[in-house]
Amino acid sequence: MYRGREGQWAWLLHRLSGLAILAYLLVHVISISLFVFGERAYMALHTTYELPIFSLGLIAVTAGVVYHSLNGLRIIVMDFTGMGVLYQRQMFWAVMGLTLLATAYTAFVVIGRMLGGAA
Amino acid sequence: MIRARTFTDARQQAHSNAELNWWIFMRISGLVLVFLILGHIYMTFIQVSEADATYIAVVNKLQNPAWKFYDWTILALSLLHGVNGARYSIEDYVRSRPNRAWVKIIFYTISAVIFTLGTIGLFSI
Repeated sequence: MYRGREGQWAWLLHRLSGLAILAYLLVHVISISLFVFGERAYMALHTTYELPIFSLGLIAVTAGVVYHSLNGLRIIVMDFTGMGVLYQRQMFWAVMGLTLLATAYTAFVVIGRMLGGAA
Repeated sequence: MIRARTFTDARQQAHSNAELNWWIFMRISGLVLVFLILGHIYMTFIQVSEADATYIAVVNKLQNPAWKFYDWTILALSLLHGVNGARYSIEDYVRSRPNRAWVKIIFYTISAVIFTLGTIGLFSI
C-alpha cells in the first residue's frame, strides 16, 4: 500500500467513487425497471427527472464514473507493467486532468441544453 | 482484500484461488466496463437529454436484441464488479465477525433482488 501523497488520495477517491457509483446503479436499475409495471408507473417517476437538480446530479455521476474508469486503467497499468508503479504519481495527475476536462465538457453540453430550454 | 503493487504480489498475497480470481476479475471487467459504461453515459445522457428517455423511447430501444444484450452485459458485469468492490469495503470497515456476516447477507440479498428485477425488466419487452 502507498502511504500518503497522490497514491493514497487516488485509492481513497477510487473507493469513494466506486461506492457512490454502486449506490447510483442500484437506484438507477430500480427506477428504469419501473417500466415493467407500465407506462403510468414509469412516467410518474420519470417526469421528475426533468428537474434541473437531476441533470446536475448526473454530471456528478459522470465525473465519478470517468475518474473511476481512468484511475482503474492506472491501476491496471501499475499491476501489469513494470513501469507502472514508477509513474503512478504522474498518471494520477493525468487522470485528474482528463476527469476535469471530461466533466467540463459534460457540464458545458448539459447546462447549455438546460439553458436552451430543453431539460 | 489483496493490497498488491503488481500481479506477482497479488499471487503471493492471495490466500485462496477464489480471492486471486476476483482480483483478476476486477481488472478485466473494469477494462470492459470502461467502454460499455462511458458509451452508455455518452449515448443516453450527453448526446441526448435525460428527458428523452421516455417510456416509448426505452421500449423502442429495447426491442433491438443488440441493445438488450448491451444493457444486460452492463447490468451483470457492473453489479458483479460493484458488489465485489463493496465487499472489499465491508471487510475493511466492519470489524466484528457477526456484524460482517449480517451486513453481507443483507447487502448480497438486496443486490440479487435488484439484479433479478433488472433482468426481468430487460427481457419482459
